[in-house]
Amino acid sequence: MTLALREWQATFAAQLAGGGGEGRLAIHRHNISSSLIRSLGATLSTVRALVGEEFFRQAAQAFISRGLPTQPVLAEYGADFAGFIEAYPSAESLPYLADVARLDWALNVAFHSPRLEAADLSAVPPERLAASALVLAPGVALVRSAYPLDRIWAVSQPGAPEGTVDLDGGAARLLVHRRADDATFIALGEGEAAFVEVLGEGQVVEVAAGAALAVEPAFDLTAAFARLLACEVFAALRQ
Amino acid sequence: MTPTRIAIAAALASALAGTVAISERAEAQGKMTVEKCYGVSKAGQNDCQTDNSSCAGTSKKDNQPDAWIAVPKGTCQKIVGGMVKS
Repeated sequence: MTLALREWQATFAAQLAGGGGEGRLAIHRHNISSSLIRSLGATLSTVRALVGEEFFRQAAQAFISRGLPTQPVLAEYGADFAGFIEAYPSAESLPYLADVARLDWALNVAFHSPRLEAADLSAVPPERLAASALVLAPGVALVRSAYPLDRIWAVSQPGAPEGTVDLDGGAARLLVHRRADDATFIALGEGEAAFVEVLGEGQVVEVAAGAALAVEPAFDLTAAFARLLACEVFAALRQ
Repeated sequence: MTPTRIAIAAALASALAGTVAISERAEAQGKMTVEKCYGVSKAGQNDCQTDNSSCAGTSKKDNQPDAWIAVPKGTCQKIVGGMVKS
């Protein structure tokens, strides 16, 4: 039987994704899945550390079977892994795992974001700044969790000291951002988180400050703003 | 201008004053000369690497993902307590 090139490619691609095919085709299939598992492991390194290599490989294999990458950049594969792991029956005993995946993913995105020169807001008259909306820098993201996500993350890093984390240790609001050579996060207070969230929606500083005060009456705008400036969270004034 | 806005403007102004001092200090220490624009890919994200074992295209593990169920056993053992799930 002779196939047209187009059909031949479609058949080949379908077989690589897991359907049918015999013998040596399995070599290609195996290469694809092991590359993708490796890539997911690099992107979701904290998830991998938490569950261990064997479990991670199995979960990643199940994730891959739902769909191969739709773009050529491996670091962009796995955006919906958090949603997948949330519904993955074998991970049911780890209810915080999806939040860890969200944090890993946000760090991955920030890491691959361009680093822009931080906006020089000192040149803007403060009254005008109060009435301005601010563009958040590429990669800046707020990750909320009902669990002490920052501590869970910390004990899962290579070389972390021994110790345990109490899952009931309180909620976390983590602001992921780009640094010179990597990406990192800081833990925000309730007011700070609301401030960033509302700014992220495109609201002006005044409105964001009001939202922060509403959730945390002792919200200190000076301290919060200085902290965010130091993390270079603001890229520009929104025009 | 509302009193709230004046208070907010004052708070922003003091925050900015603090940052200027910090960036001047950084300047005094010498500017970073090397700056990467984008993150460098981690190992595993570079390209389609080949596993040494993958030429053994007969690996059963790969084709039978549900034949065994792995149990999480990494640093999750350090996470204790939490709400009991039924």
